[in-house]
Amino acid sequence: MLKFLALSFTKIYSIYNKNLDIFLFIEYKLGRNRLFGSRPEIIYIIAAITGIIILLFNVFPIINTFYWTDSETLIKTLFDREVIASIWLSVKCASITTIIAFLLGIPLAYYLARHEFRLKALIESLIDIPMVIPHTVAGICLLTVLSPRSIVGQFLEQNNIETLGTEIGIVIAMLFVSMPLLIDAAKVAFKWVPTRIENVSRSLGANQVQTFFRITFVLSWRGILSGMIITWARAISEFGAVIILAYHPMVAPTLIYERFTTYGMKYAIPANIILIIISIIIFIVLRLISLGGKEKYDSRS
Amino acid sequence: MIHVHNLDIKLGIFEIKNVNLRIAKGEFLVLLGPSAAGKSVILESIAGLIPISKGKILVNNRDVTYLKPEKRNISICYQDYNLFPHLSVRDNICYGLRFKKDKHCVKYSKNFKTLIKLLELEEILDRLPLNLSGGEQQRVSLARGLIGNPDVLLLDEPLSSLDPNIKWTIQEELKTIHQTMHTTIIMVTHDFTEANYLADKVALIYNGEIVQQGTIEDIFQCPQSIFAAQFTGIKNMFWLSKDKELKSFGLKQPAYIGIRPENIYIHHRPLRTYYQYQGRINSFKNNGIYMEIELSTADTKRNYISYLTLNRFFELKLKKDISIHFGFNKKDLIVIRP
Repeated sequence: MLKFLALSFTKIYSIYNKNLDIFLFIEYKLGRNRLFGSRPEIIYIIAAITGIIILLFNVFPIINTFYWTDSETLIKTLFDREVIASIWLSVKCASITTIIAFLLGIPLAYYLARHEFRLKALIESLIDIPMVIPHTVAGICLLTVLSPRSIVGQFLEQNNIETLGTEIGIVIAMLFVSMPLLIDAAKVAFKWVPTRIENVSRSLGANQVQTFFRITFVLSWRGILSGMIITWARAISEFGAVIILAYHPMVAPTLIYERFTTYGMKYAIPANIILIIISIIIFIVLRLISLGGKEKYDSRS
Repeated sequence: MIHVHNLDIKLGIFEIKNVNLRIAKGEFLVLLGPSAAGKSVILESIAGLIPISKGKILVNNRDVTYLKPEKRNISICYQDYNLFPHLSVRDNICYGLRFKKDKHCVKYSKNFKTLIKLLELEEILDRLPLNLSGGEQQRVSLARGLIGNPDVLLLDEPLSSLDPNIKWTIQEELKTIHQTMHTTIIMVTHDFTEANYLADKVALIYNGEIVQQGTIEDIFQCPQSIFAAQFTGIKNMFWLSKDKELKSFGLKQPAYIGIRPENIYIHHRPLRTYYQYQGRINSFKNNGIYMEIELSTADTKRNYISYLTLNRFFELKLKKDISIHFGFNKKDLIVIRP
């Protein structure tokens, strides 16, 4: 394998030496720094090649699913109540999750961005723990807490709150796996706002809360919004933890999994395609909101 | 009037000890010292942005030691401007007013007009900070700090990141503002020339302690420590301990003597100064408006540094390694007793 790689590299390099014209063109398109003479830098060539591999690896499987079905079944699935309900449920639960993560995570993220203390590293790792646990494992951990045998489960039962097999369960599962992303993103966004600018605002008479909403939040909202998009995306794609807490009502990934295991590829793919399209559309719309509103004052983007 | 009494601050291993400052209303105080001496820390603690471990801060006889920054009516401007990037220049300047109880008071709109005129901000009022030059940004930052009639304006190296020409203009504007608005100002800087131009009073800070306080004249003419002497530009400092040497300088106990480079005279012929030496030129550096010359004497084996105007230097046709007479007068001698 290594030998093959080495050989192909030398081959590419020799081609590159012989056919400078083509490479110069690629290089020109890549925006090479012209100060370095007429030879393109080797790193940029490698970046171009690996970049193409990565893009194909990401995009090709998604596009390829479209060849596995025809438009007729696709349209039929589009009006399939079960499919629509599950997608709606996914979107709804992911959105609720994002809002809860936002409300819970922002104050903590702000505190962590502004303070240094002894156990900070520990607390930060505790926050990130859900990201390293396999999601089915996370689901089982949550199940032990929510089952009537634990204190929390008992409390919920006494108050007639059903979590397992309900939308609440789905949101809990999604929240558990996606909240770290929001906290981390918000923390980075807050760190971009200099403490001194807050100091100035305070010295001019704004209290801490006023300073937060008038200055800090306004200056970091773009970073927070993109954190929310990632959180939302992570929540809607969650499967492992969700099926353990709530197989029914079915979110879209569960439905697709069920169709795949009981009926096979043919029935899973149309729903698959619809979920892909909807997810991508929402993702693009949110991205456009967060990038499109690019204001002139934001010098870092 | 501001009175800082026995202020102690601890920041990790860095300590500020026993700071006492007394600033009269409308006075311009400059905290002067090398970088990392703790000047900015003192400033931020007066603003309430850094907690203090001991001491008292009184502003117009009001104890503000434990008040939150927004309740102190002390505004601060930093070296890196820190304008609110999402607000226009006008909104930046008026930002503080919305938090005032008497926000529609005439005095603020009067302040606004005065500041806009003094700082020449009229034409950029509707622009965003990103499109402003450094000098313009610092002007806006000053206007923002001053509009709400603060009891004290704190300036943290406000001129340090500006290029020299702009720096002079803003320095002059700062002086004019101080004279028209009579605001009490505390400014931090490491630049002695800024202090010379602006300060009514100077507090010299070194290693977290105030080493000397007084008018510029006091500090310039009688520095009380080696640090103060060197900081105010006394390049020639010698430790005298031998009896013979002490006698020649009229001293009884061992002490440091200092002499400013500009007070050392050079000529080819013997001079008529009180102290005279014969020596030679070791090296010289052209600093643009003056020549820095390193001289050494044959007998005392000491090196002196002298400044000459370029004109004078070329007139005397001085060269490296030539033998020369130099000397200085008794009245220019500065004695520092340890």
